[in-house]
Amino acid sequence: MSCLHDHSCEEHDCSTDWSLYKHIDLSKVSALNEAVSGSVKSVFKDWEQRLNSSEGYLESNEDDPELIVFIPFTSDVKLKSISIVGGADGTSPAKMRAFINREGIDFSDAQNMQAVQEWDLAENLQGVLEYQTRYSRFQSVGNITLHFPVNFGGDASTTQIHYIGLKGEATQLKRDVVATIVYEITPNPSDHKTRAETGGSLSHVE
Amino acid sequence: MRNGDYSPTRFDAQKDAVSLISGAKTQANPENTVGVLTMAGKGVRVLVTPTSDLGKILACAHGMEVGGEMNLAAGIQVAQLALKHRQNKKQQQRIIVFVGSPVTYDKKVLELIGRKLKKNSVALDIVNFGEEDEEKTEKLEALLAAVNNNDSSHIVHVPPGPSALSDVLISTPIFTGDGEGASGYVAAAAGGGLGFEFGVDPNLDPELALALRVSMEEERARQEAAAKKAAEEAATGEKGEQSTSQDVTMAENVNPGTSEPEKKTHDLTDDENALLQQALAMSMDDSSSTVAVRDTDMLDASADDHDLQLALQLSVQDSQGDQSNPNDVNKIFPDQSYMSSVLAQLPGVDPNDPAIKDLLASMQNQPENKEENKEPKEKEKK
Repeated sequence: MSCLHDHSCEEHDCSTDWSLYKHIDLSKVSALNEAVSGSVKSVFKDWEQRLNSSEGYLESNEDDPELIVFIPFTSDVKLKSISIVGGADGTSPAKMRAFINREGIDFSDAQNMQAVQEWDLAENLQGVLEYQTRYSRFQSVGNITLHFPVNFGGDASTTQIHYIGLKGEATQLKRDVVATIVYEITPNPSDHKTRAETGGSLSHVE
Repeated sequence: MRNGDYSPTRFDAQKDAVSLISGAKTQANPENTVGVLTMAGKGVRVLVTPTSDLGKILACAHGMEVGGEMNLAAGIQVAQLALKHRQNKKQQQRIIVFVGSPVTYDKKVLELIGRKLKKNSVALDIVNFGEEDEEKTEKLEALLAAVNNNDSSHIVHVPPGPSALSDVLISTPIFTGDGEGASGYVAAAAGGGLGFEFGVDPNLDPELALALRVSMEEERARQEAAAKKAAEEAATGEKGEQSTSQDVTMAENVNPGTSEPEKKTHDLTDDENALLQQALAMSMDDSSSTVAVRDTDMLDASADDHDLQLALQLSVQDSQGDQSNPNDVNKIFPDQSYMSSVLAQLPGVDPNDPAIKDLLASMQNQPENKEENKEPKEKEKK
């Protein structure tokens, strides 16, 4: 499968570029309005497999083309571009909106909130189009939510997505909140030495 | 909601069921949260936002009053909103709705709501009780069909009856659907309360627990002996052993019987509970053992109201008046041939005994029982 990028592929391997899928926390991936629960996990795969839908694909419920895909990563990533392979006959999504680092977005939230970035998609059945991100806004992405509000219409009553590719770098950092926080009802001054106390003097607070 | 078709009233039955479900859910997983809202009254009101504190949930049941009309659509939508604003976004969303009043909304409206819930992956459990209405059932089934995604949503129809609403719900997927811990809690709760055998905490009251257990064992052993004896002696119509007559016990419980053991077993639907109450009756009864034996009488007797009442009367008469029976325990079987054969074989009972003849005579006065002679049967007391 040749890739139609405007460079020759011998110098690099496209599939390593699109390898951010390895940093996705697949067990926590979820989708709203999917017809088959759990089918969303099948759209994250190797670049070489992007057209291979034997494992299944993500399809929305009948008569409702909206889809929301929630993608958490195992570490923060810098996201450079996104590629989407949709279905035929107008089932491909026509628009994509992205939200970063927010959990639990549902359809009413997605419609009311301002997306970090929006794209108009084209029917990309071969998976050769990529949609670039405003890189400065996508520097430390712990999770991303993609909202597909409409498809190309026609006869299509559902939206199908066969592949979502993500290109970027993983940073090995985690953006998680502090796991253990100890709250004190009465502070113990000896636990809190200020710089003035420890700075030069040897005194300690009793 | 004040109707008595669910005991004690629909409203109370509902409150019980709600507290049972909340308990089960909070116990199943420490991160589970449960909230409660009411749909009628002055309007939809969230009494308790989702919390894992069972005390708060149970406390909110106190102020509830009956009044107003149920607004199902608004109730479900407010519930969805409350779930949406939950603190832990990783939690799965589920709404359990108790529909006792008639449903005023169209099927279309309900289906729309259902689809919206499905889209936002909210599961819905419906408990259909109270008003029985073809339309209502249809509408609720349509709502369920619209919401259902992969069998995560359920509907339960509870017709009015003697068993409590909570007990009926225990065996449904509403409790067992999320499996694991929930069903464990519920099975324990069903066994007589608070998850302890015999309903008594062995830590709090070890003697009572021990006494109950011992008397249960004794009773069981005695009945096995009785059953074995009956099996040996019976020519025909052996009325079955303890274990097979549990259903009969249930039928018995619905009878308008007047004896106390019957009353004690009245509300129970669990087999174990029947045994338990028997044991309790035995251990608590300091009167003659006729009362306790009457328990086993009922278990062995057939489900014939009239015969049973007669049998009970006779037992009372016998224990009071009949001194000639060497054994102080009487048992009545409504099977004539069995009776007569047993009677003939038992030592110490002379069929020509005047007392027994009297009894036979009085029994034969009953028109229904002309065919069957009720014979007092000697019963060995352990």
